[in-house]
Amino acid sequence: MSKYFTNIYDTVNTLWTGMRITFRHMMNIKKDNVTLQYPEERWPRPERDIGFELEDYNVIRTRLHVDIDDCIGCFRCEKACPVDCIKIDTIKAGRGEDIPEVAHTGETSNGTKKGFVVSRFTIDMSECCYCNLCTYPCPEECIFMVGGPHSSKHPIDYEFSEVDRNDLIYQFAKKLTPKQRNDLQQPKEKAKA
Amino acid sequence: MTIDFIINQFTEIIGNFPVAAFLVACASVGGLLFVLMALNAMVAVYVERKVSAFMMDRLGPMGQGPGLHAGKWGILQTFADAIKLLIKEDTIPKSADQILFKVAPFIIFIGAIIGLSALPFSSSIQAVDLNVGVFYIIAAGSIGVIGIVMAGWASNNKWSLYGAMRSAAQIISYEIPAGLSIIVPIMMSGTMNLQNLIEYQSGSIFGIFPNWIMFQNPFAFLAFFIFFISAVAETNRTPFDIPEAESELVAGWMTEYSGFRWAVFFLSEYANMFVVSGLAVAGFMGGWLSPIPGFLNSPVLGLFWFFGKVSFLIFVMMWFRWTFPRLRVDQLMYVCWKVFIPIAMLNIFGVGIWKLIFG
Repeated sequence: MSKYFTNIYDTVNTLWTGMRITFRHMMNIKKDNVTLQYPEERWPRPERDIGFELEDYNVIRTRLHVDIDDCIGCFRCEKACPVDCIKIDTIKAGRGEDIPEVAHTGETSNGTKKGFVVSRFTIDMSECCYCNLCTYPCPEECIFMVGGPHSSKHPIDYEFSEVDRNDLIYQFAKKLTPKQRNDLQQPKEKAKA
Repeated sequence: MTIDFIINQFTEIIGNFPVAAFLVACASVGGLLFVLMALNAMVAVYVERKVSAFMMDRLGPMGQGPGLHAGKWGILQTFADAIKLLIKEDTIPKSADQILFKVAPFIIFIGAIIGLSALPFSSSIQAVDLNVGVFYIIAAGSIGVIGIVMAGWASNNKWSLYGAMRSAAQIISYEIPAGLSIIVPIMMSGTMNLQNLIEYQSGSIFGIFPNWIMFQNPFAFLAFFIFFISAVAETNRTPFDIPEAESELVAGWMTEYSGFRWAVFFLSEYANMFVVSGLAVAGFMGGWLSPIPGFLNSPVLGLFWFFGKVSFLIFVMMWFRWTFPRLRVDQLMYVCWKVFIPIAMLNIFGVGIWKLIFG
């Protein structure tokens, strides 16, 4: 019989303990909250070095970016890409010659004279395997992974989902109208002739 | 503001048409009660989500982000849920009993709304002022179980049937301690009329404490807890939710229901919570009387006190739900038959002696 009453007492006691705990959590929600309101708030991006030399290679491989004004159209990144997700087309132009109609500058920021107008530079980020192999051959260092030593050139961005798969094919070259493309190709043929 | 009042007004202004007066009064009062029921469910669902979230260190519905907006702090979440439920496809299983399947939600709904009609919201606002109010609400609460068994049987689904049988066993068992405990205030006040029951609780103990029945003697205090916990069990809420038991029975007797019919079940569940809390408030916690004796007592403020107390009890139900794990079936029956009923019996005995000694 005393067991019966001890059981009732224990039940009430332990239930009350549990209720106190949940009530305390409810009242301290501002402090205890673990949910992050994702689009508005984000966890801090981990800063870590994964590379061989800290200054050069602490890149968290987030996303490829191309400074198209510095690109000389040498195709080395396209050849280096193991999954062939980089596609480049070029049109021959005068070496070091500015073509203001298509916003083409003749020199890169390193002072190299460009011989081509890059008419197409696409990276299919849905195919990209983030191997970083395309960034080493680049003589102008214009293709790079966002972040790390390049974080000053482009904001860090590792959240780039799209609704349509085709939106993951990033166009870096300036858009050329068919007429502009034609005009660029004409002088070459004239010179030949 | 009872139905009689509206009938009298109708007769005075328009003329002596008893049937028309009755229909108009019933429709208007019924409409108001339905609005109350819907609002109660909307607010309670939102609060329940928030309370559950806060107790689990989450934030609950926040409605942030493009395309996901449900107002600041997710206030519009229940509206969105209601719209979703209303435009959902209404599916009825092929092998279900077509008539019973359709009738069951209405019976449960009726069980909830007729209980609501006898609650004393304030000294002057009550749909029907019955002289057997307590008895009526207890009886109305039992109608729901018919609908539940009907829904479970008609669904032609083993989970539904299990849920319905468990629900029937549970509701019928827990009605006994609930009924035995509500006898305590009836014995003390000598009336079953809810208004008189509340008026009996006016005044104060030692000039400071409210003269609520639950504070008048230790047996009544115990009876309040037994009644309230049995009421939680009668509304099929956690920790007594073995009829629904998500992890065992999918959704119990609601498994096959969807869309509006399911919304009706949901509405009735929250209305039932309101009714049992209202009865507990009227019977033990002084109904529409102010918790500080003689302070801010008026018919309009009575409404505020009544809803405040009911909201508090509904919050306690949510608190129970998000704290306690579900009881096993045998534990459920043990608590009812071996703990609550003997103590409730002793309570009645004790209150009888108390009345003999202290008047």
